[in-house]
Amino acid sequence: MVKFLRYLQYEVFLLPILIIYTLFTIVPLIRSFELSLTDFNGYSTDYHFVGLKNYIKLFSDDAIVSGISFTLTFALCSTALITVLAIPLAILLDQNFFTKHIHRALFFFPSIPSGLLLAFIWGFILSPVASGVFNTILREVFGLGAQPWLSDPLLAKLSTIIVAVWAQTGWHAVLYLAFLQSIPKDYFEAAAIDGASRLQQIRYITLPLLAPAMTVSVMLLLTGGLKVFEIPFALTKGGPGFETHTITQVIVLRGISETQFGLASAMSVVFFLIVLVIACFQVTMMQKREERIQ
Amino acid sequence: MTGSLKRSWILDILMLPVGIVMFFPFYLIIVNTFKSEHEAISRPMSLPGEWVFDNYKQVFEQTPILQSFSNSLILTVCSVLVMVLIGAMAAYPVVFNPNRLNRLVTLYLLAGFMIPFQTTLIPLFQLMTDMQLVNKLYGLILLYLGGAVFVFFLMMGYMRTIPKDLSEAAIIDGCSIWGIFWRIILPLLKPITVTSIIFQAMWIWNDFLAPLLFLSSRSNATLVLEIYKAKGEFTVNWPMFMTMTVITLVPIFIFFILMQKQIVKGIVGGAVKG
Repeated sequence: MVKFLRYLQYEVFLLPILIIYTLFTIVPLIRSFELSLTDFNGYSTDYHFVGLKNYIKLFSDDAIVSGISFTLTFALCSTALITVLAIPLAILLDQNFFTKHIHRALFFFPSIPSGLLLAFIWGFILSPVASGVFNTILREVFGLGAQPWLSDPLLAKLSTIIVAVWAQTGWHAVLYLAFLQSIPKDYFEAAAIDGASRLQQIRYITLPLLAPAMTVSVMLLLTGGLKVFEIPFALTKGGPGFETHTITQVIVLRGISETQFGLASAMSVVFFLIVLVIACFQVTMMQKREERIQ
Repeated sequence: MTGSLKRSWILDILMLPVGIVMFFPFYLIIVNTFKSEHEAISRPMSLPGEWVFDNYKQVFEQTPILQSFSNSLILTVCSVLVMVLIGAMAAYPVVFNPNRLNRLVTLYLLAGFMIPFQTTLIPLFQLMTDMQLVNKLYGLILLYLGGAVFVFFLMMGYMRTIPKDLSEAAIIDGCSIWGIFWRIILPLLKPITVTSIIFQAMWIWNDFLAPLLFLSSRSNATLVLEIYKAKGEFTVNWPMFMTMTVITLVPIFIFFILMQKQIVKGIVGGAVKG
């Protein structure tokens, strides 16, 4: 009896989180699946089971199709670019030079403020008018004409990716840096004695030992990239047309603004599956890679 | 020695242009707060021809920036404190009284990592409307508490490093389960608490989507939401908008300078464990 009472006393500690988590995460998740099979419009209580109709409708909805395609493009491109830039940057920031602390802070700082704010600032830089900051630089330095950075479909996509790379590379470089600093210096000394050049040391010691950091960084970048909303929304409002709409923006648009709850829920469910599949695939692949390398 | 000294100077010079590119956007917003509307558009990159200080005064007069600052502060502080508390509480039985039920609960909670906020958004909107929690700061606080799952995960990892003898000795001394948590375990969690607070505070302070959907009136707007709304109003008045941005960035910058070590350690540590 005493034991049971003690047991109960322990379990009480779990109650708050279980209530909150169930109410605000699990119940809505189940409800999303449920709503995606109905024609619920947010108001009328008289709604019907429509089977997979909403899921079929997804593929004929322009906003949704371009939302999925842009979000995937953004997630893949920004992940690849940031990873390719962050690793060399981390190696550079690990060297001993006079302004290294200033540079570390400078690269890391953009990850502190909200992405919305940073993207608004970049909206000013990429302003399409001839006196816009970036267009002025292009004209003065390269003699190029004004480019519609945020209103041309391809340039708008490129711009969002550039801003994301600018904002996040430093953060991921610091993540790699933390792993770099845990590599024992003896490894490099031993390699140097054996006659390995600086580049060989990076290729055969640094990069393989960074594999676990890469798994984490790529996982965060991919899942973060799939959930992206603020940067494209602040830069282009999702335009031109639906070109830079993200999945999140489409869910808000179709679901909350237009109250097509069924359709938006179907989109949410598909999004859930996309994130799940990509994240599982990436982590399994990269953990196998870790084992192979080490 | 001379060799390494020489190399360091080369890197300083090599990194300089990259550093300038990183800093350039911040230079732009600062310099344009001291310009007139016309000059910001026509000569965005140069230093102000005539220094204008009126923008700062006007932002405080024309926008509810102090109100939104205090909204953000209330929202962040309350959410994070409760989140850390219930996250730590949940980790306690899981680590110190492991049994089959608790293992199931752990799995149930960790599944939350795989559920994007966007997937639950439509039903959440409905739920918040039904419970009349829309446009209320405490409604949004309740919503954010779901983030306690991440705190739970960090706490669980850290708590495992606390020796079990500690709580067993306390039980023998007649301390209750409740007392052990508050008097012995909680004070020992300080390092991981700092990590959790930094991680979660930055998330909530910077969040845009949830305030956009769940806080409709201007008087309840968070700082980020207020900037979004101001951007709509000041469409062409860039100096005003930039001034507002600078005012927002100053406290963040001070926080960053003061806490740089903890922030880097906290974010990176949290990410690696997450």
